[in-house]
Amino acid sequence: MVLFQKPFSSGKTITKHQWIKIFKHAVAGCIISLLWFFGLTLCGPLRTLLLFEHNDIVVISLLSVLFTSSGGGPAKTRGAAFFIIAVICLLLFDNDDLMAKMAEHPEGHHDSALTHMLYTAIAFLGVADHKGGVLLLVLALCCKVGFHTASRKLSIDVGGAKRLQALSHLVSVLLLCPWVIVLSVTTESKVESWFSLIMPFATVIFFVMILDFYVDSTCAVKMDVSKCARYGSFPIFISALLFGNFWTHPITDQLRAMNKAAHQESTEHVLSGGVVVSAIFFILSANILSSLSKKGQKGTLIGYSPEGTPLYNFMGDAFQHSSQSIPRFIKESLKQILEESDSRQIFYFLCLNLLFTFVELFYGVLTNSLGLISDGFHMLFDCSALVMGLFAALMSRWKATRIFSYGYGRIEILSGFINGLFLMVIAFFVFMESVARLIDPPELDTHMLTPVSVGGLIVNLIGICAFSHAHSHAHGASQGSCHSSDHGHSHHMHGHSDHGHGHGHSHGSAGGGMNANMRGVFLHVLADTLGSIGVIVSTILIEQFGWFIADPLCSLFIAVLIFLSVVPLIKDACQVLLLRLPPEHEKELHIALEKIQKIEGLISYRDPHFWRHSASIVAGTIHIQVTSDVLEQRIVQQVTGILKDAGVNNLTIQVEKEAYFQHMSGLSTGFHDVLAMTKQMESMRYCKDGTYIM
Amino acid sequence: MGTIHLFRKPQRSFFGKLLQEFRLVAADRRSWKILLFGAINLICTGFLLMWCSSTNSIALTAYTYLTIFDLFSLMTCLISYWVTMRKPSPVYSFGFERLEVLAVFASTVLAQLGALFILKESAERFLEQPEIHTGRLLVGTFVALSFNLFTMLSIRNKPFAYVSEAASTSWLQEHVADLSRSLCGIIPGLSSIFLPRMNPFVLIDLAGAFALCITYMLIEINNYFAVDTASAIAIALMTFGTMYPMSVYSGKVLLQTTPPHVIGQLDKLIREVSTLDGVLEVRNEHFWTLGFGSLAGSVHVRIRRDADEQMVLAHVTNRLYTLVSTLTVQIFKDDWIRPALMSGPVAANVLNFPDHHIIPMPLMKGTDDLNPVTSTPAKPGSPPPEFAFNAPGKNVSPVILLNTQTRPYGLGLNHGQTPYSSMFNQGLGFPGTGASQGFRTGFTSIPSRYGTNSRIGQPGP
Repeated sequence: MVLFQKPFSSGKTITKHQWIKIFKHAVAGCIISLLWFFGLTLCGPLRTLLLFEHNDIVVISLLSVLFTSSGGGPAKTRGAAFFIIAVICLLLFDNDDLMAKMAEHPEGHHDSALTHMLYTAIAFLGVADHKGGVLLLVLALCCKVGFHTASRKLSIDVGGAKRLQALSHLVSVLLLCPWVIVLSVTTESKVESWFSLIMPFATVIFFVMILDFYVDSTCAVKMDVSKCARYGSFPIFISALLFGNFWTHPITDQLRAMNKAAHQESTEHVLSGGVVVSAIFFILSANILSSLSKKGQKGTLIGYSPEGTPLYNFMGDAFQHSSQSIPRFIKESLKQILEESDSRQIFYFLCLNLLFTFVELFYGVLTNSLGLISDGFHMLFDCSALVMGLFAALMSRWKATRIFSYGYGRIEILSGFINGLFLMVIAFFVFMESVARLIDPPELDTHMLTPVSVGGLIVNLIGICAFSHAHSHAHGASQGSCHSSDHGHSHHMHGHSDHGHGHGHSHGSAGGGMNANMRGVFLHVLADTLGSIGVIVSTILIEQFGWFIADPLCSLFIAVLIFLSVVPLIKDACQVLLLRLPPEHEKELHIALEKIQKIEGLISYRDPHFWRHSASIVAGTIHIQVTSDVLEQRIVQQVTGILKDAGVNNLTIQVEKEAYFQHMSGLSTGFHDVLAMTKQMESMRYCKDGTYIM
Repeated sequence: MGTIHLFRKPQRSFFGKLLQEFRLVAADRRSWKILLFGAINLICTGFLLMWCSSTNSIALTAYTYLTIFDLFSLMTCLISYWVTMRKPSPVYSFGFERLEVLAVFASTVLAQLGALFILKESAERFLEQPEIHTGRLLVGTFVALSFNLFTMLSIRNKPFAYVSEAASTSWLQEHVADLSRSLCGIIPGLSSIFLPRMNPFVLIDLAGAFALCITYMLIEINNYFAVDTASAIAIALMTFGTMYPMSVYSGKVLLQTTPPHVIGQLDKLIREVSTLDGVLEVRNEHFWTLGFGSLAGSVHVRIRRDADEQMVLAHVTNRLYTLVSTLTVQIFKDDWIRPALMSGPVAANVLNFPDHHIIPMPLMKGTDDLNPVTSTPAKPGSPPPEFAFNAPGKNVSPVILLNTQTRPYGLGLNHGQTPYSSMFNQGLGFPGTGASQGFRTGFTSIPSRYGTNSRIGQPGP
């Protein structure tokens, strides 16, 4: 409505075309200023100022930090964090309680359809009014920045920003005219006399629109834009705070009362601690973001042109680039996931788990049940292990690179190890919790527990069946657990059957598949299953007999079971990570080394290293001394054949003759280590009959 | 119960072994200090946990986990003492240096898992904010802070010091460095404390204590209980930030990767090696760190047929030994059998053919996806010297390469025919300048594509 009277509506020159663009511009401007007004009515001027009066540069750099990875270093990230903290402060810690009382809106000031729509939208979101206002203002701020950027080109076309401004104001006046007339006809009661309004309106319009615009433009001309943004925020926010402090001043009160008819009188937007804190954060963030935005605007240096001038990569490229690659990336990784059975199974189970979690969370929010929601969070926590397993299964198929010279297969083992640690942590926490509860058993409400845990149990059982299908040998055992879980009395018995199953499984796969990652995931699912079984059993016990102690006892037992079933996994993973001689090849390698001893012309061997690199690779290196009349390549062939039979598939064999040591001692005057090694070799030559045992 | 007994049995002997090793370590004077600190740490952690439950503050719990992490780091320190005393056993042939790395990795991962747990708990607390009693909050903070700092500064924790130096900077460190850079612009004297980068552990201890102080203040003044949850999240995120680079670094060591900082040096050395007289190509190079610092590696070197193996081996070892302490070099020649069969008829050579094919077949799949990227592609530099010397053996090797390659890939009869004729050529001992030169130019591109696989063709009967 402030846009009603325009002093320079008539003063400017004529344009022929681009009216449509100007029209669009005007409509967007109107919508943004309406949003702004609405936010103003909801939050009060102080908060509106804090939120809305940011320079474009600040917001653009904020958005670039948030949505592109190519932010401008740590300082900018800090600035963005400050900005977000400030907004959160306004949202959470600003107890503008008086506004919350205004929950019921008198029909009187739903002036228009737009306002009404916004009110219903905010009411639907279920937040308090001023919080809604804060969100609205942030939205409006983003819109404003987009609007300004879009209008920049148009303003050049039309011939100067001032002209565009004037024209668009004119158009928006024309747009708003009929609406205001309709409003003034329908809601006559509110406005008594137009004449009393004209004076303050004129001043407001003068200050808000014209002065602001001209000051802004002169500042932009005279100073650097970022400097303007940097120093402009200080006086704005500080003066806003001061005004907010002296808000009870009669004149300002009067002004405000006129500006927004009846709405503000009942409420006071008091200056709370949260506002002050957020104002400080806003100042800091504006300072940081605008000061560094110079660097960000220039883009990143990518090199030098042939003439020697530096070439920069601008932010716009980064935007386009990331937006292009994200869907493709998702598509490709999905394709990769579905390619192989391991990752496919984990993926499907993850989807199922997440689905269950979200159903649980949604239902929890719907029925306002805290237990359900917290259980949902717990499920999310568990899902992180699955996600890790999925990533490991995916990464293990990547091609080898310079850095990962053996390939990525070892990631599976590492992920299995981390999963084992994860389970240990879980077992530890469950153990601590249950000990605490054993000492002081709390009263439980078993009302909601049963359906949730049964649901979880079903999901996890599906997972167990799926995963143990992958390891075909464990199938029977999982069937057993399926049956035993249905009738949950005699808890010890079925706990044991489960446990035995887990144990047998882990040992079985150690011999066969040796995929630590899948083992970790499987154990995780198993632990979850045990958890839900425990819940069911304890619920039954509590409901039937009122034994509240059953709950901590159950969880104690489960914690111990989880711990015990994880130990072999961690042990195996540790052994692989520590480059142990692979236990399943140990005997064969001994035999192979003995065979090597018997090769014709071979004196001895040293430094036999054999280790399992990943599920598919067993690597080995060995140094072999031979007499000087043997052909090296034949020895290499023979040794390779023997060791390949023993299961080593990535071999390096160094064949040394006496000449080698002579060369070495001739070459390495500086390397005393090698000399010592040579001497050792000489001495070893004489005790060649197998005294050097690996 | 039977299963549990089955578990316990190895466990007991394990504990017995542990006790024995522990005695070994405890004989050292330095470890006494660590043990003392560990005992104090246990007491401290116990008190802190008690205070956590009495104040009901999750931020303090998150901070207590840092103390527990300290306990782990003390254990790591003990392990590193033990590692220096142990010699490699036959089963762990590389020695126990890696145990140190594993301990660092496990403790950083455990700290992160604890932080994850805190995150989950605080997400639950956002829904229903319990009341926090500030009574022991500040006391707990300062006890934990002083103890942590005391431990950090008084014990020289070698593995963690190394990792925190070598790992990339955490975001916390980056921010502090960024802030302190501007601070040092004002007060230059401070640059010695802050500037390159602060010790991450000291940093996180201080930052966590700071967050807890803010929490205390806000709860005392305004009863904003939500601040407790927020600062718990902040501490958890900081823990993530601090631990993540370290676990990535130690995890990469565990994954047997080539450390990025030595790649430049290694490349230089390998280039040197490949220019040695007689060396045709270097491939299948695997270099990885054994513990923190010491490099191990293996490499395959293909040499000219008439080159002296032991000489080349000595030179290659000599070059690489400056950087790689545990080194194995496999020297191989293509078609090494031929000199022995030189006098024999052509048919012998043809009969030899199956040898090249039988073994590679099953291995094809396993090695196929590993090799191409790992090894240096056949150097463009290698053919010219080989050609310049005009030694008889040089022209042969590419032919065999092609031969072993085309057969498994089944490129058809056409291809099978040509190698045969070329084989015939060589078998008669003509280093034909016209015909086989034509081959050479044709083949130079092939080793660069398939060359890495040629190792497969090399093993014989």
